[in-house]
Amino acid sequence: MSVPTEAVRAEFPILQRAIHGHPLAYLDNASTTQKPKAVIEAFTEFWSRSNANIHRGVYQLSEEASDAYEQARSRVACFLNAPEASQVIFTRGTTESINLAAYAWARPRLQPDDRILLTEMEHHSNQVPWQVVAQERGAQLDYVPILDSGVLDLEVLQTLLCRRPKLLAVTAISNVLGTINPLPEIIALAHKHEVPVLVDAAQAVGRFPLDVRALGCDFLAFSGHKVYGPTGIGALYVQADRLAEMQPWQGGGGMISRVSRERSTWAEAPAKFEAGTPPVAEAVGLNAALDFVERWGIAEIQQHERDLTDLALGLLVEEPGVTLFGPSSTDQRSGLISFALEGVHPHDVAQILDESGIAVRAGHHCAQVLHERLQVPATVRMSFGIYNTDEEVRRTQQALAQVREVFA
Amino acid sequence: MSGTLYRDVLMDHMKHPRFSGKVEPADLRAAVNNPLCGDELELTIALDGPLIREARTLARGCSVCVASASLMGEAIQGRSLEESSRLSQMFREAMASGTLPDPPPEFLPPLMQIRQHKSRVKCAALAWNALDECLHHAAFPDEEKR
Repeated sequence: MSVPTEAVRAEFPILQRAIHGHPLAYLDNASTTQKPKAVIEAFTEFWSRSNANIHRGVYQLSEEASDAYEQARSRVACFLNAPEASQVIFTRGTTESINLAAYAWARPRLQPDDRILLTEMEHHSNQVPWQVVAQERGAQLDYVPILDSGVLDLEVLQTLLCRRPKLLAVTAISNVLGTINPLPEIIALAHKHEVPVLVDAAQAVGRFPLDVRALGCDFLAFSGHKVYGPTGIGALYVQADRLAEMQPWQGGGGMISRVSRERSTWAEAPAKFEAGTPPVAEAVGLNAALDFVERWGIAEIQQHERDLTDLALGLLVEEPGVTLFGPSSTDQRSGLISFALEGVHPHDVAQILDESGIAVRAGHHCAQVLHERLQVPATVRMSFGIYNTDEEVRRTQQALAQVREVFA
Repeated sequence: MSGTLYRDVLMDHMKHPRFSGKVEPADLRAAVNNPLCGDELELTIALDGPLIREARTLARGCSVCVASASLMGEAIQGRSLEESSRLSQMFREAMASGTLPDPPPEFLPPLMQIRQHKSRVKCAALAWNALDECLHHAAFPDEEKR
């Protein structure tokens, strides 16, 4: 089964835009995805009909808003196959989700010389929060290296797990290499050493099946805006035992049970970790986005992106001066491709492609440790979404010829 | 017409950067980077009293970054620190306002092309950030020795 691209594209108003006189070819979906009408309309509908603050109002609108917000939570729980909706904490996105785990769970538990295990392919959002809490607590970080093929070195992972880190934080899919990490194997190994696992699912959500019960992960973080939903909303799934271990991280309204002058008691999770007015409309938009991807089918989206990746890899490998990063087989990689073009800085590649209406990202993609390992300062990244077409991939290849011409 | 011309100037500086490399020994040195893209640039300056005897940049960056460093390198050789500071200010004001001083210094019109692409202005600014840092070190030598 494949995705009917024309019908899908018709649902994305932004794809009608021309950029520098060319149709927009949006190939930066690993950064953020475009929004379908269903999500835009869910926003409009909420603002137009049901907007109110949640939980503390007894009037109709507040009840509607509260229901919509909690329905979104149940929708996320169902989407991830979480046992309980209360195990889903809404955040601003993956970054905040990981910070929440770092501050509310890891920080109170870390002792001097404890270890946290990361990998060389982590996005800064799954590295820097751990650095911050580790520095504060005098804890150490270890990094699972990658092999030259762009996959994690699972032998070294075993060795590093023997050091009994307090947590393994690992990405489901590398945002630079596209590598799909073998999570079931990794999590089983970690649990054998009694090491909890946090999964950064930013690149996996909506394009790869995610089942927290089957995975057995302790934490899983994702962002709404990478799954065709709004910015400003994401979630952290927490396994029940870990959830009981978490301490409040932000104080304020909504997260308390009772407040006196000297001290307060806390609400139950998830409210305990959602101080202040939450992103209600964004949660409603996320709900619509999850409906959208499930309507077209995660497996179908995955296959569609895989077909595009196969095509692009085949074309790029023939291009003079192109170095590709990441696994060579699409069995092990998702719908994104990072590459370098000999003699041309990635920024310059991206600029020339933009002149043809092609949006790709250039830089270190918030993964400086990985780029050091790859020994390049930056790369060009094209990343696919549900609405991308073969024609856009071919246009990109043709535009690369122009890049070479300009910088010859 | 002039747009293409200036683009050619930029491309020429990118492909054949002037005053590239390091001055050894240097009186002033600044290493700067652009956290958004990872570009890095080092500027080293040898002084002859208040004059810049030689300035060289070592840039690991995009065409705009390299070309701007090259144009800056040409502009500040043999100038006084004070004049160099004025040139840096001219660069920043022109980038912010979009208008050239009258008469414009030679290095500036080609760099104005970059304003069409807002996200690239920071690439052009990297070399000038290094210059400002060197000028700061010159003005406050004690601070440098910390």
